[in-house]
Amino acid sequence: MTREMNVVEKILARASDRDEVEPGEIVVADVDRAIFHDLSGYITGNVYEEAFEEPIQYPDRVTMVFDHTFSPPNEEQANILESNREFADRHDIGLFDCGNGNIHHVILQNNLVEPGSVVVGSDSHTPVHGVLGSFATGVGNNAHAGMVFPDGQCWFKVPRTVKIEITGSPPPGTTARDIALYLVGEIGEGGANYDALEFSGEYVDGLEFWDRWLLPLITIDVGAKCGYIEPDDETETFLEDRGVSTDRMVKNDPGAEYAEVWEFDVSDVPPQVACPPTVGNVVPIDEVAGTSVQWAELGGHGGGRLEDFELADGVLEERAEDVRFNLVPSSRETFSQALDAGLVDELHEAGGTWFPPSTGSNQAINMGAMTQNEAMISTHARNFPGRNGHPEAKMYLASALTVGASAANGEITDPREYVQ
Amino acid sequence: MIEGRVWTFGDNVPTDEIVPSDLVFKPLEEMAEHVLETRNPEFPKSVEEGDVIVAGEHFGQSSGRAIAPKAVQATGVACVVADSFARTFYRNCFEIGLPVLAREGVTDLVDEGDTVSVDLREGQITNTTTGETIECESVDPFLLEMVESGGLIPYKKQGFSADSD
Repeated sequence: MTREMNVVEKILARASDRDEVEPGEIVVADVDRAIFHDLSGYITGNVYEEAFEEPIQYPDRVTMVFDHTFSPPNEEQANILESNREFADRHDIGLFDCGNGNIHHVILQNNLVEPGSVVVGSDSHTPVHGVLGSFATGVGNNAHAGMVFPDGQCWFKVPRTVKIEITGSPPPGTTARDIALYLVGEIGEGGANYDALEFSGEYVDGLEFWDRWLLPLITIDVGAKCGYIEPDDETETFLEDRGVSTDRMVKNDPGAEYAEVWEFDVSDVPPQVACPPTVGNVVPIDEVAGTSVQWAELGGHGGGRLEDFELADGVLEERAEDVRFNLVPSSRETFSQALDAGLVDELHEAGGTWFPPSTGSNQAINMGAMTQNEAMISTHARNFPGRNGHPEAKMYLASALTVGASAANGEITDPREYVQ
Repeated sequence: MIEGRVWTFGDNVPTDEIVPSDLVFKPLEEMAEHVLETRNPEFPKSVEEGDVIVAGEHFGQSSGRAIAPKAVQATGVACVVADSFARTFYRNCFEIGLPVLAREGVTDLVDEGDTVSVDLREGQITNTTTGETIECESVDPFLLEMVESGGLIPYKKQGFSADSD
């Protein structure tokens, strides 16, 4: 009789050819998908080719997406992209070049992750793919260069699992992104260090796929190793519509155990803002409403979804004169949907500027650099000092509703004023 | 056994502050000149070979690039000890061959400028300035062998002495 296991334990057991695994054990597991963006791909490729001469073992499992650099701003960046293209060509790995979109959206929208699979990536937000019921985690350049590329494998310590049970229905003006930020504030940076997080409960069950997506996105910000949602009808419908195989999908055993269960009732949660200098510095919007911003952006790992443009469009007629309003679709598919829905035109007329599908001003490689005196409110996933220009420039993270309302006023604005 | 002079840092230090993201393609020597400068401008100027970083909770959060521990290693720091680490940073340190040890409460044991000795195998940290010692959970044998081999790549090349079964 093997022990009753949860989704992550079952995936790790199967991938390491064991009947069962227990938290704390170290296993060597087969990797189904390894993903890189232009920065991590460059560093990892160099480490690999310095250490090994042979071609990558399973090139069809490796994918690179140029998302930080959507158009090289200088020769140095152009050289890096050229080197990445040559690496991809030499090893016959999949490449999505500039303009395709944010790494995680591109991977998902090209059906490159199956439920029940093992996904690794150098990007720290890789755990987002747990939305499909996969085991997805971020590992460093040397893990990829040392094991994933040469062997198609990776070592993992089996994490303990914490069940995050979310109940209640938040009031108008509070979106799934606000709930995700709220959880970061409540759990705290490092509050779930090394853990696997299962997002469950009636609130999660009721969310549509792209809103669910925002929950495992935040696992890294509370220090967790991975996050997942147990596949259900919503997951299966999403996958079947896209023609993705569900043959390897796994569910929790009925007696699966959790190290802890943390309950959150979100019935009264107001819109949330993560304030500089860190992602865990989350406050109800009342505490920062009125703060002046010069930039507003829908984009990045946390935004640029079709839903974000819909939300912002609903609260914004025209941006304030002294605000630069950046619109960065997460993928070409999203841009196409935004076109069909009339959102591209409407947000353009509202004074927004459309940028190519990418990860937006994340780390200010192509855009989004700020002076010492500037502040931005965005749907981005990070706000650490120095990521967008001067270390004293301020980045506030919020929902698309709050970003839209703030763009209209030139200051952080409570979107509940605009939402019934 | 590692013994060195202590530099202290606080909680939740992100990799973006360990090495600024606009330097990640620069040579390691250049990165080393800016390591943790926003937290303590004196650090990159005065750090010496064999020094030890003692940090608070969740050291090395944010981006998981192994460049951050490599830049720390390039400053000559021999070991990082913290109340706790962000998991990608912790993993990366072993994979690039930089010894680290986590022990809740270690920041209360030392002050900047003290000398500490760190025993990874036994799981022991001693403030050799005050003589005070704390015990901690020893490092997993798989990770210990990895770091003693100089990191994951040399460890793999020598054929992983244990598959840790």
